Amino acid sequence: MSTTQMMKGILDGCLLAIIKDKEVYGYELAERLERYGFDALSEGTIYPLLMRMQKEELVTSTRKKSTAGPKRKYYSLTSKGEQELDGFIRRWNDLQNNVNRILEHETSSDEF
Amino acid sequence: MPGKTELSTKSREFLEDLRVYLFSNGKNSDDIQDIVEELEVHLMEAEKEGKSVEKIIGHSPKEYMEQLSNELAADYKSWFKYVMLIILGSFSFSLANDLFEGTLSYSVLELIGHVVLGVIFIFGMLMTFKYIVGNKLSKWKELSIFFVLGIIPIGLFVGLTYINRAVETPMIYFGTAGTILTAVITVVFLIAVSWWAKTWVLPIVLTMLLLPEYLFRLTAMVQETQMILSTVASFGGIGVYMFIDSKMNKAS
Repeated sequence: MSTTQMMKGILDGCLLAIIKDKEVYGYELAERLERYGFDALSEGTIYPLLMRMQKEELVTSTRKKSTAGPKRKYYSLTSKGEQELDGFIRRWNDLQNNVNRILEHETSSDEF
Repeated sequence: MPGKTELSTKSREFLEDLRVYLFSNGKNSDDIQDIVEELEVHLMEAEKEGKSVEKIIGHSPKEYMEQLSNELAADYKSWFKYVMLIILGSFSFSLANDLFEGTLSYSVLELIGHVVLGVIFIFGMLMTFKYIVGNKLSKWKELSIFFVLGIIPIGLFVGLTYINRAVETPMIYFGTAGTILTAVITVVFLIAVSWWAKTWVLPIVLTMLLLPEYLFRLTAMVQETQMILSTVASFGGIGVYMFIDSKMNKAS
């Protein structure tokens, strides 16, 4: 798996988590990602991901009027999306634990 | 579209390019509309906060368009519709011309060649569109590419005419009944397409091209005078139509 592919999988999980928290539209989603520290990302990256997640029925969307300009497309999680998010959280925790264990043991000087 | 004027030229250009790119890749027009609108909202809000276009679409617009394109399924059904429309549309032009010469007859080579050239032209056109919007070209380069794109099919059709004279293939004769039937079908087709596309440009241009020549041929003028006058009338008529049409578009 290349770094970008791994990154995409992680981003997918993050998007699902943000959408689960609250129904959001694209711009809001990008802003929240940035506020959490993903600020090197170009904001448009989320749209191909959202399109795929909608095709896979992880999210649904509705159009709502905004005070100014054209209608916004709001995303919310489906039950399938919630399952996917649970799966992601489990996988992420495992991965994080494994990596942490390795780093703790292999980089500390008192080992071996 | 409301709010469209608020967007910067650069953003608007990107959205237009994206539309052409996705269309050239055979995507469904509703899907295209959907994603273009969504990005329009995003770009508007981003610009309000002073973000650059690059912050949204990255440094390679082409790469980003490709990413979006990959997530949309190809819409073969409407594609087939467009291809048929263009091929039948070009058929109806040569048909209408030939109808004035009497009963119709075509060689097999002519019929097949026409379809093949139509398909080549359509694919060439779509590839050119994709190339132009994917690579930022100077206006001059863009124009020369369109010029070549316009010249090639003319050259190919002229080539087909010559090959058709040199190579014998079976002829198909339509006869009087077949000719009348074909004429009726052509007229119905042109009206249906115009109705569907909500523009009468096809039948009007066709009439302007053919009618003056036909009418002047009925007069007792010298042939050269007939040709010159009918050509002037044709292009004058098309010019007047385009002028009126653009006035009407502006008014609405």
